[in-house]
Amino acid sequence: MSERKPVAEAELLAWRHGALPARERETLAARIKTDPAATATLAEWDRQDASLTALYGPISAEPLPEVMRAQLQAASGKTNRSVAARWPALARLAAAIALVAIGAAGGWGAAQLRPAATAAPGAALAAIRAHQTFALEVAHPVEVAASDAEHLTRWLSNRLGHSIQAPDFATFGFALLGGRILPAETGTAAVFLYENDSGQRITLYASPGDGTDDAAFRFVEAGATQGFWWVDSGLRYALVGEVAREALRAIATAAWDQLI
Amino acid sequence: MGASVTMLDEIEAAIPSLRRYAFALLRDRAAADDLVQDCLERALARHAGWRGEGSVRAWLYRILLNLYRDGLRRRPAGVHLSLVNSGVVAELARPGAQEGHMALAEVATAMAKLPDDQRQALLLVALEGMRLAEAAAVLGIAEGTLASRLGRARAALRAATGRDESRSERTAET
Repeated sequence: MSERKPVAEAELLAWRHGALPARERETLAARIKTDPAATATLAEWDRQDASLTALYGPISAEPLPEVMRAQLQAASGKTNRSVAARWPALARLAAAIALVAIGAAGGWGAAQLRPAATAAPGAALAAIRAHQTFALEVAHPVEVAASDAEHLTRWLSNRLGHSIQAPDFATFGFALLGGRILPAETGTAAVFLYENDSGQRITLYASPGDGTDDAAFRFVEAGATQGFWWVDSGLRYALVGEVAREALRAIATAAWDQLI
Repeated sequence: MGASVTMLDEIEAAIPSLRRYAFALLRDRAAADDLVQDCLERALARHAGWRGEGSVRAWLYRILLNLYRDGLRRRPAGVHLSLVNSGVVAELARPGAQEGHMALAEVATAMAKLPDDQRQALLLVALEGMRLAEAAAVLGIAEGTLASRLGRARAALRAATGRDESRSERTAET
């Protein structure tokens, strides 16, 4: 009654590595049993997996190296002193949230910038400029759309020279539109653009750092556009938009969490 | 605080597998442990901020893979880790390898020849035992993309280890 067509590779993969509902598993099991090619393929895969385990598995049975033990030890110590409830690294600098207000009503003359403030606003300002340019863009806000997520990730990571994946801001109502690259002082910057239902846009900007230490969130604003910038693992990040400061801070925090 | 301790326990529990995965990617013990240390450093710096989205394990693998890919980017093109230097083949490919295993040297060589994204994918499911959904999340790709990568990787291994006599139209479909 049920026609027995050969089991497709995708089905075998789902069988072997997927989470099929019990019902489907049963049906598929019956079909595999009567399909010699499928049975042979599964046996072959078993052999492959056994070989890989034989090649690389033994290391996982070894005791942890001392260095890693020490890392864990140090971390559990820190956890107990829960002063820095979150982000031990950031908390050190949290007190130093700096307000870098830049000449209000637009205009980007260098004279209006205050280089004395700290080193990083270069990237923060570039982020604001990028935002003010592309967030208003109707026809071509991004170069690669979010629908092509894998290409976007790969392309931006390669150009930035650092793995980067667009964080998910769905909990804040913002969906990824896509991304683009821009020249930056220190190389190439990756820019992600997000939009919410009411058409508000925010920009996440990342550019290579110059090797300076990680830095906590700092606030930056220029006209109606404001944002937070920080430095993490050699990258300078900024999250900017025309969104309330506290909302931006929450989104920036989520970005920091997700940009691992 | 209790939550954080659990998180640390979970991280600790994942280390042996992370070392195994790193070793399979790099085929060099010292480099693998360096990679795992970097991964731990990153994970431990932000574990207190963990909000329980997804599994800790998947999160750790993502961190590890990011660092690994950063390392690949820094490595000059065309330079590949040498299998011969790794000692893996010499150690494990003695004749009389266990019944049911393929010649391990062949498998090691075939793995080394796989494109990086296929190797990363295959090792997650075949060696680390991840389900498709988890591995796809770790790699940041769609399950369909993952499945086709796995199909290609498995076909390449099969061809390289001389067991493709039963290769049918099925493998050609990809």
